[in-house]
Amino acid sequence: MLEDRLLKWKFRRGSRDALARIYEKYLDSMLTLAAGLLNDTSQAQDVVHDVFVSFAKSAPGFRLRGSLSGYLATSVVNRVRDYQRRRCRARRVGLAPPENTTATPEDTVIFTEQAGRLSQVIAELPDEQREVVLLRLTADMKFRDIAKLQQVSINTVQGRYRYGLDHLRSMLNGEVDK
Amino acid sequence: MKPKKKVEEAIRGKLRFTAGSTFRDRLWAEVMDTHQEFTSTRPVLHELDIRRKIMRNPIAKLTSVAAVIAVAAMSLVFWGRFNTPAYAIEQTVKALQNVRCLHIIGRDEAGEISDERWIEIGEDGYQVRYRQQNPPSVIEEHPGAPSMVIEDGESTAVYRQENKAVILYDRKEMQYQWVGQLGKAFDNLLQEGKILEENSEYQGRPAHKVWWPFMSAECYVDPETKLPIAIGNTELGYEEPPADTWEITIPDGFVVVDKRPGATPTTTPDWLIAEENAGEAKGESFRQGVEALIRGDHAEAAKQLEQALGCDSWATFWLGSAYYGLGQYDLAAEYFTEMLNTMLKAFGGDVLPYCNYALGLAQARAGNLEAVTVNFQACLPTMIQTLRIPSGGKMFEYADNPRIRCGQHKPSDQEMVVKMINRLRIITGQNFGYDPARTNEQNEAAIAAWEQWFQTDSQIRFTPDAELLPVPVSSAGEQTNANN
Repeated sequence: MLEDRLLKWKFRRGSRDALARIYEKYLDSMLTLAAGLLNDTSQAQDVVHDVFVSFAKSAPGFRLRGSLSGYLATSVVNRVRDYQRRRCRARRVGLAPPENTTATPEDTVIFTEQAGRLSQVIAELPDEQREVVLLRLTADMKFRDIAKLQQVSINTVQGRYRYGLDHLRSMLNGEVDK
Repeated sequence: MKPKKKVEEAIRGKLRFTAGSTFRDRLWAEVMDTHQEFTSTRPVLHELDIRRKIMRNPIAKLTSVAAVIAVAAMSLVFWGRFNTPAYAIEQTVKALQNVRCLHIIGRDEAGEISDERWIEIGEDGYQVRYRQQNPPSVIEEHPGAPSMVIEDGESTAVYRQENKAVILYDRKEMQYQWVGQLGKAFDNLLQEGKILEENSEYQGRPAHKVWWPFMSAECYVDPETKLPIAIGNTELGYEEPPADTWEITIPDGFVVVDKRPGATPTTTPDWLIAEENAGEAKGESFRQGVEALIRGDHAEAAKQLEQALGCDSWATFWLGSAYYGLGQYDLAAEYFTEMLNTMLKAFGGDVLPYCNYALGLAQARAGNLEAVTVNFQACLPTMIQTLRIPSGGKMFEYADNPRIRCGQHKPSDQEMVVKMINRLRIITGQNFGYDPARTNEQNEAAIAAWEQWFQTDSQIRFTPDAELLPVPVSSAGEQTNANN
């Protein structure tokens, strides 16, 4: 989009306004993507924090061919994967955090009951399908770009998307009709 | 609705997590600090001081020289790997100045070649030799168009497949060109070109995207050679042409009509005489039609331009403008549609912004509101872009003001921006408070608001009575706007 093209151009030249606009424009969608992938708003905040701080560091010499939203979404996915790997390791050595954290996400992340329910259901999907469905529907990424990120063919990505939607439909069991 | 669609809609519409103000503000503060830290310039005063002290000691001097050499050597090693030098338009202009051969390929909407040309360029930047080949589809579409043209440096040969004839002219009297004077085009790129996006891509190839006002198009530059690989929908190559490219040969069964001075007189075929006479008559009608349009005599303009159809693609467009001026909006829409279809078929692409705009206006006046939205949406991106890159509105001006064609008017950047804002106000009903009397910096907020609106809303609302800005009168004189 035209605005993103200008934002990238300005951001590369150190514009604080451009960074502010990018932050405002993409903060919530990246938070949604992270929350959907992790099914945990507290960790989603950490991921989004890391992504934006890292993005701010990249301003000098920032080069990007593709879309800004795609770039940020890819960053979110990579951070989420890091988190998931760390969480697995932590569990193996008995350092897993308690299920109910003391954080109060309501103060920091606002979401509806429906969003919470959807997030829970999406969390049931296999990782690859969850990624495809969320990248496609919350970050508007093209199948081609998702295929690059997942290092698989477009057909595989489209298959994962289809299976993901089928799973969701059966798990939601008519809830979306309401 | 299909169940899968409902799932998609539910996720798109209902899966929303919003950052609360505490988190939003806290993170923003950290992001800003980081940005500040990584973009601020570091002071260099101490470096000067240190160097002065080191140089007082002869051994330290030698050490520092060695260090400088080592750093320089390392820089050379790492330069190629890690540092991509920034692109500058001057590099493209310089690269173009060394080009001696251009291969131009235009494709139609089906991807078939609709226009192929070779141009040899002399060291002075002028066209030396030229070859253009039109596929049968173009000749079918434009009866009388040559099937091929070859300029060998002295003569121009015009091939007419359907008449089985080759007409030879002195090159000084008959010359074909691609975009007019290439030197002027290059100079325009240097003076007014703008980098839109570095490290973008063109059909999967890495490319810098540049706005080239002379071409009224986006141009894609190869990052390696710095040469344009495409301008709009036209592809460019720089390879040597096949050996016989510039050779004028007469196909078997073709007659030669030699019109060069000093040639043995030949009989000019009747079809060519009729064509030349008709061409002259159409040309005269076109000239009179354009003049009538400029003075606002729409009835006379329509009459003359009807006679001129076929001699110039703009006859079709301005005939639409004349009917628009007469209030015959259905007819206007018909001619704008014809122009749109012809140009898209010939040059590919989906949109011809100035034409979509004119067509949308005519449809809006005719009450065809459904089609209006499609056409106005199609031209919106270019209209918004013009607010920052005024030359993007050049073709809108050219279409609206035939005085530009006659060399009687050259719109200033500010005029193009103001008129584009007026057009935007008419088709969207929005008003973001631009004031031509203010400075660019002061108007920045209005432009940003248009961009923001385009990004988040961009709804079309035809508002013929929108409040319009006064158009700054440039030195070139009064304004004419055939459509408004």
